[in-house]
Amino acid sequence: MTASARVLEHFGKSNCSEPIRILGASGQLGYGVPTPAFDAGLERAPHLIGCDMGSIDPGPYYLGSGELATSPTATRRDLRKVLRGALKLKIPLVIGSAGSAGAKPHLDCTLAMVREIAGEEGWHFRLGVLRADIDKSVLKAAIASGGVVSIDDMPALDAQEVDAASNIVGQMGMSAFQRALAADVDVIIAGRACDTAIFAALPAMAGFPVGPAQHMAKIIECASLCCVPGGRDSILATLDHDGFVLESMAPQRRATPVSVAAHSLYEQADPFTVQEPEGRLDLGRATYAAIDDRRTRVVGAVWQDAKEPWVKIEGARPVGERAILLCGTADPRFIARHEQLLKEIEGVVRDLVCEDAPEDYALTWRVYGVNGVRMTPVTQNELPAEAFIMGECIAPTRARAAEVVRTTKQYLLHHGYEGRLSTGGNLAFPFTPPEVSVGPAYRFNIYHLMRTANLDALFPLEIETL
Amino acid sequence: MRLQDFAQVVRSKNAGPRRFTLDVIFRSDPDYQRAAQSEALTAAKIAPLYGVPASAVQVINYPLGRAIKIVIPRRIMSGDPGDRDVYGAQQHTPLLGLEI
Repeated sequence: MTASARVLEHFGKSNCSEPIRILGASGQLGYGVPTPAFDAGLERAPHLIGCDMGSIDPGPYYLGSGELATSPTATRRDLRKVLRGALKLKIPLVIGSAGSAGAKPHLDCTLAMVREIAGEEGWHFRLGVLRADIDKSVLKAAIASGGVVSIDDMPALDAQEVDAASNIVGQMGMSAFQRALAADVDVIIAGRACDTAIFAALPAMAGFPVGPAQHMAKIIECASLCCVPGGRDSILATLDHDGFVLESMAPQRRATPVSVAAHSLYEQADPFTVQEPEGRLDLGRATYAAIDDRRTRVVGAVWQDAKEPWVKIEGARPVGERAILLCGTADPRFIARHEQLLKEIEGVVRDLVCEDAPEDYALTWRVYGVNGVRMTPVTQNELPAEAFIMGECIAPTRARAAEVVRTTKQYLLHHGYEGRLSTGGNLAFPFTPPEVSVGPAYRFNIYHLMRTANLDALFPLEIETL
Repeated sequence: MRLQDFAQVVRSKNAGPRRFTLDVIFRSDPDYQRAAQSEALTAAKIAPLYGVPASAVQVINYPLGRAIKIVIPRRIMSGDPGDRDVYGAQQHTPLLGLEI
């Protein structure tokens, strides 16, 4: 009998009033799952292990390129650890947003690791795979029928941008995971998914109320981040028919009413509502009460089914090749006049590299120590003793980007100006070459909602027996 | 008193790639009340610190978490060419010196 069938059968018994225990193993699988807390969680006999593995927080590069943000070695280690735990307890393991961004290359890479680990360990199980890639023709048809709207003032989406995207994913919700759980599986690996759906799908299916199940999921998807001190150790949630209790599996981390309530603020614009494809979670009447100094009980979240499902769509497109220049300066006269001098250099470089080519690149600066970090203009009265200058070029080709930053380096080093004392050079390089070709650059060009009449078709399920 | 002298947390982070959110969390209910009733943490006072119109700034009081949340649109979307802070985790500093 598979793990999902066992757990569903257990909770399907008419006289079952037992709470369900969900272990949130990791807020981002692939960055390390601390073993003591994870093992402590296994000892509590959870009914499911869930792990979130990605998001769009790290920017458009990973979605665009298809690469993982985490190292392959650490990712394999984490996958092996959570697979071993789930197979030992014969409980479902659910992983969402596989491989950092959850598109086909990320999911395929994660699956290859899982197959490799299963082969090495001699493990056998039924694997459910949920894909999250959105077909370009489906998205274009949705645009044509008025079924795509922007999020947060994103420009309206058109067919041209859809074609330019290298990967497009939709965030699947609970219903996709429930199809997989109903299909007799031990392990589910999903592409891009709502982090809550990973943890809420099974309890909702087993008859627990969706509001508290979703609220629990929203908190434990970040592991012990809702505690004081916050951390990435595994967390156990015990959900009954009214609410849930949170307990970090690391003894030093305390889930207090204020720390748990404050977690609703994290990376959310609105602490009172969470929008999911199948409905909306309302936290306006949620209450938080201490059971003891390490555990908090939460009740009161309300779920409202959506009239029609909307799916959040994310896409990234290439915008060129990136090369950067890394250098520092300690010269007070250079620092005092750096804005003007950098503008002059842009002109010098343009005249040289555009002699026989169009101005097909963008050269930008961040001057750390002065104004490299803040998004808003900085007024600074005192100038720093040293500054770090990063030049960045995005150009159509790797060679063109390298040409621009190498030319920039040489002319910035030797640029003469009125009052200059340091005629040996304006810059210090900690090493050479100070120019680095970083590879392709991407930008998010799709961040929209798509109306859909058929959620199931968007997120197809494949079953594989290992 | 400056905000940084009595707030427990003053942080920023993306809320999606097009906005960032500032969370100011306090140690005690009186500290929270003092800040929530202050004129300093209003859209009109915060907007100029971030170079945006007051109408673009949302301020949400969240007494359960002893927190005040501020949501501000990013000028450059996370990771777009020219961005300076992909995660939006270092945009909190203009709040630190606010007099409450």
